[in-house]
Amino acid sequence: MPQGELCNRQPIVTDEQLKLTLSDKSGKKYYAEMLELDVDTNALWATIQKTMKARLKTWLEICAHCGMCADSCFLYQVNDCVPEQVPSYKIQSTLGHIVKKKGQVDNEFMRHCMKVAWSQCTCCNRCGMYCPHGIDMGVMFSYLRGLLYSQGFVPWELKIGSGMHRVYRAQMDVTTEDWVETCEWMAEETEEEWPGLTIPVDKQDAEIMYTCNAREPKHYPEDLAEAAVLFHVAGTNWTVPSEGWEQTSLSMFAGDWECCKDNVNHVYDAIERLNPARVTGTECGHAHRATVIEGPYWAGREDGLPPKPYIHYVEWLAEALREGKLKIDPAKRIKEPVTLQDSCNYVRNQGLKDVTREIISYIVEPGYFVEMAPNKEHNYCCGGGGGFNGIGMYREQRNVALRKKMDQILDTGCKLVIAPCHNCWDAIRDLEEEYEIGIRWSFLKPLIIGMLDIPEGMRVEW
Amino acid sequence: MFKKILLATTGSPASFGAARVAFDMAKRYGSEVTIFHVVGVPTKAFSHVVNDVRTGEEVEIDEEYLAWVEEELKTTFAKQFEGADNAKIVLTTGVPAREILREARKADSDLVVMAASSGENASFHKGYPGSTLQKVAKAARCPVLSVHRESASYWGGFSNILFGTDFSKQAESAFKFALSTARELDCDLTIFHALDISGKVLDQNEIEENLIIARKRIREAYVPLMGDFKNYDIEVWEGTPYVEIVKLAREKSVDLVCLAHHTNELDPERARIGSTVEQVILRANCPVVSVSKPDKV
Repeated sequence: MPQGELCNRQPIVTDEQLKLTLSDKSGKKYYAEMLELDVDTNALWATIQKTMKARLKTWLEICAHCGMCADSCFLYQVNDCVPEQVPSYKIQSTLGHIVKKKGQVDNEFMRHCMKVAWSQCTCCNRCGMYCPHGIDMGVMFSYLRGLLYSQGFVPWELKIGSGMHRVYRAQMDVTTEDWVETCEWMAEETEEEWPGLTIPVDKQDAEIMYTCNAREPKHYPEDLAEAAVLFHVAGTNWTVPSEGWEQTSLSMFAGDWECCKDNVNHVYDAIERLNPARVTGTECGHAHRATVIEGPYWAGREDGLPPKPYIHYVEWLAEALREGKLKIDPAKRIKEPVTLQDSCNYVRNQGLKDVTREIISYIVEPGYFVEMAPNKEHNYCCGGGGGFNGIGMYREQRNVALRKKMDQILDTGCKLVIAPCHNCWDAIRDLEEEYEIGIRWSFLKPLIIGMLDIPEGMRVEW
Repeated sequence: MFKKILLATTGSPASFGAARVAFDMAKRYGSEVTIFHVVGVPTKAFSHVVNDVRTGEEVEIDEEYLAWVEEELKTTFAKQFEGADNAKIVLTTGVPAREILREARKADSDLVVMAASSGENASFHKGYPGSTLQKVAKAARCPVLSVHRESASYWGGFSNILFGTDFSKQAESAFKFALSTARELDCDLTIFHALDISGKVLDQNEIEENLIIARKRIREAYVPLMGDFKNYDIEVWEGTPYVEIVKLAREKSVDLVCLAHHTNELDPERARIGSTVEQVILRANCPVVSVSKPDKV
């Protein structure tokens, strides 16, 4: 069978193809074409032989099917504990089967794998912590997603998502011009209230280079303004790059490995060009994982590190609060029960669990912080990770997945949830929209700005 | 001075008054009107899925849908379009306040005209200007004219302008705008300060003393800026500022109130209650223009 016009094995590399695929409402034509899409079994097997390394092979081999991972998976829990949701089953019956069959699988099986890979696993990596052998199904699913992507079996939105990265070098159609313009605009809008505030673009040798999530310049540029306010108040010598500012990687969710590498190199090029002392990004989990945790390996960096120390926003914020660069007015601290959403991507994947709690200790009146149970590295995915939030086809499954987080939040009794991750923030917003449990949610930036003890002369009093 | 008018509208009846004013002004002053409508607030992925601003339903944006919305707007404003040579419709998706600001900046609009609220969710929103207006009025570089009540529509050009001041920095921009409008359109201008005595216990002597001080302050701050412009008078009353502004506006048959909207409250939900501008918008019998920035005055 020939490949489809929209659903095929080629990545989207032109604006024209991108617009064409976007104009296909709900991916109707795309998914119809997928029914006919040929599996290039030889190429699939060749890719597996070339890319599947010892760790994954061993993991597939040594899985004892003990089922210890079952309860670790929130999707298993919220889906009535059906066996089809046991992590080891999910991966063995998909990737395991493809490997066993040496890639000789058909279209129907590939579509089944796509469904499992994108609607039954958010790559939150929680199962890996509970497996007696340390087998991480999240990592294996990321690998499986790559195989599926290379054969064209990828949800419509994610095919477009990685196409966006390839065409615009951002997950949305924000061009360099749009981005720089947004920086100017936000500086203009904010400087009046914060005299002396600037958003310096392409400044050499700054103390901090800041990167963000394309959703921000596209729809919520005040997030950039808020970052600028905090850098300004903290007296930081900072900059944003005109190119290489987009830290996210939908291609990581899509399994577009080549594009992942391109994305991260783009950011690394900016670091090398501007030579900042350190880099930090916005309040986003997957962006940090893509650029800082996985990125160095995609880029082939031998030390496994980005070109300069690259900290998560919560690390920068905690440091600024700790060192007194940002001071909190005790009278303005949060005095209502408040809970914290731990992002899988920087808490479980990088261990940044204590630093967020340190921030909490500065901004919440003692006695008002309520931990979710479980928490820190044991916390559950928000319910929309790994691209799940954005895929229309699996919206129903995603809404079921949100129930775990909803129960966790309800158990805390809090009406305010701090979510320093863009994806968690979206998922929590969606869960309120879907289940109406009467909660509010916030990033750290606006909360902190509201409670700053502002140095004399820094803010215009009206 | 109103070459480019941006009419930001949801297309709902709540914005009909604003639309009428915008088109009347356009016809009178030969302005270009852009009917700007934010179709929906993005929910997922690349903004192709949005919550429709009118129905709240999730819709997928495609050309067919956009064409349908445009047709609806054309039908809604059919009367206004008649004889308006220089009008166009611009549709977009995004967070409404942000997109209105983006468009005003991009098009270098001279005036944003909008309703005080979308008029939806009546039980909750009625009586409060929406957060969209608040955000736009706070950040726009150009004056923002709002029309809340149907009766507050413009019938025959501006002839009486009331400028209310709290002596803030932002009020300087509002004054400049009021003055140049009055000059250009040959209007009477009333410069007004309401001495805020709400919730205070003051003796009459103190009040009178403060009234004299305020009057002096107006003379010092604004009169020297007026040059040969003579059609003005100065009023200083005591009371709750928004009540006094509305009363004076009614008494003088004012057809444009000019104020500066400013607040240092970041959260529009919290800034909602108590702002003078917002209360005036809700109560005034004429359009209210908020000017906080010096750019377009």
